[in-house]
Amino acid sequence: MRSATFVRPALMVSVAVGLAVGLPSVLREGGSGDAFEQAASHRKAASARPSLPEPVEPAFVPGKPTLLRVSAQATRWAVVRAAATARVAPRARAPAITELETKTPEGTSNIVLVLANRVDDAGRLWIRVRLAVLDEPSTGWVPREALGGYGTVTTRLIVDLDSLQATLFRDGRAALRADVGVGKLSWPTPRGEFYIRNKLTGYASPTYGPVAFGTSARSRVLTDWPADGFVGIHGTDRPDLLPGRVSHGCIRMRNDDILRLANLMPIGTPLTIR
Amino acid sequence: MSDLTLEQLDGDGALQESIADLYGDTRAELLRKAVIGGTTLLAALASPPALASEMSKANDVRIFQYALNFEYLQASFYTETERAGTVARMEEAKAVWARTLGAHERAHVKIIKNVLGDAATKSPFFDFQGNTESESRFTRTAVAMEDLTTALLTGVTPSLRSQGLVAAAFSLLTVEARHAAWARHLAGIVPVAGPFDRSKPVSEVDRIVASTRFARTLVPKMTARMKPKFVG
Repeated sequence: MRSATFVRPALMVSVAVGLAVGLPSVLREGGSGDAFEQAASHRKAASARPSLPEPVEPAFVPGKPTLLRVSAQATRWAVVRAAATARVAPRARAPAITELETKTPEGTSNIVLVLANRVDDAGRLWIRVRLAVLDEPSTGWVPREALGGYGTVTTRLIVDLDSLQATLFRDGRAALRADVGVGKLSWPTPRGEFYIRNKLTGYASPTYGPVAFGTSARSRVLTDWPADGFVGIHGTDRPDLLPGRVSHGCIRMRNDDILRLANLMPIGTPLTIR
Repeated sequence: MSDLTLEQLDGDGALQESIADLYGDTRAELLRKAVIGGTTLLAALASPPALASEMSKANDVRIFQYALNFEYLQASFYTETERAGTVARMEEAKAVWARTLGAHERAHVKIIKNVLGDAATKSPFFDFQGNTESESRFTRTAVAMEDLTTALLTGVTPSLRSQGLVAAAFSLLTVEARHAAWARHLAGIVPVAGPFDRSKPVSEVDRIVASTRFARTLVPKMTARMKPKFVG
């Protein structure tokens, strides 16, 4: 092996030199018999050159790359990294809408839906987000530095207060339909655009069933309710009342439906109540 | 720097072929004289051979786990930039570059995860801190990221014990180097910094990545074990 390594360059140099010397001589002498014999001798030397190793076969080769499908159904959310003021416009001195905290009343990370971005005159990046507020406007602008990384979902939950049905869409296709119980006329479930903020499990409360989702929707009536009167989506110990207008504003589902929903619906899913 | 066309750069037609593959022949033809820079697609449609024996050495697994984290970083970066709408606002040639690199990095993630199997690490939760929402910041970050990936692979590839993995890593390395050159050219930087590329030790790569804080981010806590206090 070692000797082959040393022999190979020597042979190559000799062939190269030979060709360099021989070819001009062929041209100069107009292709005399001697010159042709000399060239043939060099060709013979070249053909005797030891072969180089074949390429090593790679252990793997990636598959065909595919372009990203930027789905119209995709929604981004961001965690609130630092307490910040949400403002009506992407300017530091624009009127405030609300203060964003880093935690929800349940102690989970506070998230907001990401709707748009804009750079102000000072070069600062602002993000328009959907807020968990009671009154309009329900969207506001926060500095990008107040937010952490982005997550993406392709799900959307629509709760129809007239048909008393919830439908979860995944990539635009219905993945789950279920009867719901919604607020009584005296404690109506608010209509509008909201989002899923967190998921609570591991508690022992038959009233709320096995799983409860926190939403950004808030009761307009029960404003003095503990923990800011947020509307949840949860199970129930009274499935016989569904579908119906039976709650204080929360959206109730049968326990098997809420468990299916828990398997299909990620946090950050936009929620339309109409 | 003089403007180079795709036609001039892409002597063997590999880049045009790759763009045609991703975008279709018509668009590739339109870009023929506009796109600047070069890359080739990795050979397509080959399925990974049985690699249990190839990956048996812990050293090789560790190297590819590290490489996977880097591919996660890059793939997430390009994907988020597209989702933020930043790529859609770019001029055509630059948008093709950004989309193509995103497609390549996602393909790299997929194959390395496949090769590592159960040893594959999960993707960290990244925070790119606005670098995906500004074209100029995105471009600068892409240049740094591609240069760093090239330096990393240059350093770790010779340490792989399996010759098959060395060959595969070289194939990734050359593509990342072409990505870097393409990014540099679009950023107005000389595509090739010098006649010899120096590797970077993993410790230095770690330090550089840590300084970005892209991966040292707040991982959101989305669930809690507690009784709800919703209005009911």
